[in-house]
Amino acid sequence: MNKPPKAAIGWGGETEFEKRRGVSSVEVREGYAQVHVSELGQDIVNERLAVLEAITQTGVSLDFLKLTPSGLSFLVRQEEAESIEECLQPLNVKHTVRPDRAIVLVSAVNIRDEEGLLADLVHRAISSAARVDHISDMHDRLLMVVRASDAPQLKECILEAQDAS
Amino acid sequence: MRVKVMKFGGTSVATPEARMQSALRVVSAREQGFSPVVVVSAIGRKGAPYATDTLINLLREIDPNVEPDARELDLMAACGEILSSVIFAHTLKTLGHRAQAYRGGQAGIRTDGVYGNARIIGINPTSLFRSIEEGCIPVVCGFQGVYVSGDGAPGGELTTLGRGGSDTTGAAIGAAMKAEAVEIFTDVDGVKTADPDYVKQAPTLRTVTYDEVAELAHLGAKVVHPRAAEIAMQYDIPIWVKNTFSDDPGTEIVKREDFPGRRVTGVSHTGKLVYLQFDLAEASEPHRIELEGRIYQIVSEHGINLYMVNLSPSGTGFAVPRDQYPLLRDLLDALVVPLDEGQKSIYLFQIGPRTREVEMQAKLLEPLGSYKCVRAALTEGCTMVSLIGHEYMQQAGLFHAVLKSLADIQIPVLQTSDSDFSLSVLVPEADAHRAVRALHDRFGLAEVV
Repeated sequence: MNKPPKAAIGWGGETEFEKRRGVSSVEVREGYAQVHVSELGQDIVNERLAVLEAITQTGVSLDFLKLTPSGLSFLVRQEEAESIEECLQPLNVKHTVRPDRAIVLVSAVNIRDEEGLLADLVHRAISSAARVDHISDMHDRLLMVVRASDAPQLKECILEAQDAS
Repeated sequence: MRVKVMKFGGTSVATPEARMQSALRVVSAREQGFSPVVVVSAIGRKGAPYATDTLINLLREIDPNVEPDARELDLMAACGEILSSVIFAHTLKTLGHRAQAYRGGQAGIRTDGVYGNARIIGINPTSLFRSIEEGCIPVVCGFQGVYVSGDGAPGGELTTLGRGGSDTTGAAIGAAMKAEAVEIFTDVDGVKTADPDYVKQAPTLRTVTYDEVAELAHLGAKVVHPRAAEIAMQYDIPIWVKNTFSDDPGTEIVKREDFPGRRVTGVSHTGKLVYLQFDLAEASEPHRIELEGRIYQIVSEHGINLYMVNLSPSGTGFAVPRDQYPLLRDLLDALVVPLDEGQKSIYLFQIGPRTREVEMQAKLLEPLGSYKCVRAALTEGCTMVSLIGHEYMQQAGLFHAVLKSLADIQIPVLQTSDSDFSLSVLVPEADAHRAVRALHDRFGLAEVV
């Protein structure tokens, strides 16, 4: 059904309530580095723990950890990337640190419960020109990690799709 | 006028005795000088004769192969609250108090037009104020409202608010009527640090912030619905969660400024999920991106919900609700995707163990030359277990502490997800009890108040 024009309803003195469905905002946060640890061995559970323990020793708080089939991937603040690099070297694990990353943060209330919304946003991001390095979701937002230079374009792409819908 | 909204859940109105106990609480509030506005759920929980599920089954059992229309489902589902409100109002009358039952629309609750999961757009509580001024106690049906299309059709369309709808009704009416408090009555003492079915000694939290309770509720705690917490937070309406059947003081939900929070608030669990991890390591990068795009396009077009989405150079993965998994499997298993880029490449999707459909497609593809298989590792029966807190969630080493606690008791973690207030892990459903208990112990939640 279409949303009703308010003037046609004639209900005075209303208090407005719940947030509208769909994307409510798209925000870009810069200044991150993405760390990808791969090709861990057979004992992947303990090797992942060893990586995380080494990072804990540096005092760096990592964000948006994802487990990958052969390792793990996460974000740190750009200025902390060097500490991470230093702590991973002695562990002798294959890793890449991608600097100059930005998070494109898409907020939508109950994003996981809005049928197909999360998949639609991921599909649009993957199909855009931006290369998406990392994705994570929460109950009210989706974050996508891209090169900082690609972030404004991805933001526009999401906003345009939202306007069109 | 000191309005107090008192919402009673299914168990609080399940029997004549329970209704009497609930009604006496309303009378007591009135005697203390409040103007109570009652919101009720349907009578009893799943399986009870007038519970929402039972009413809906009356439609489904006619022919399980014919899905009832969403509009008719909403009309049927709303009957439970209508019965409940009329019976509750009459119970109050037997105690010597005038009371009037109100459907959601009569109470001024206007929603959008999404049957089964409507959102409240606005409330005009004029009829409720009028009822109070006439000396009555309004008893409002939870979980429902009305959609007015603006096309001149009289009456509007009855809509239901989806999960936790009665809590949402209670909080929204509280906000619209500028209530002194909203009390949500249930059959537990308040918001606990974990599901008491999982952790028997889980203490009741005496104070929690809106943020904490919304996060807990979003991640599975059933005691108050997140939509209710969000409305209360927006309008700064104090909410209490209390036990209808005990004198426990319950849990007060307050603004962040009024309670600094604690390191860790609780552990929740939610979801009957199926986890899929697609291996795209064999595809070139352009093909991997195309295949990922195709997967998410199909998932989106069929309205499938996702949790714990992840993307890496070797593939992508996500969890889906178990009831949506058969549809996803039908869509993706044995799917053939030809991609052209210089040399023609064909990809054949295989979800979990190789099925007859995949075998048949493979045979059909053989004459065309080589093809590549995109396999999705499948873990059926998963649950999301979450640790909820405030700033402590940003503490260095938290991921390590959580994963190690679970590894120490041989619980495999399939995926993780985190936010400002929570850290979630996806674990096999069979291990969910142990995971909740382990994290509850590890973070000292038995001592939290």
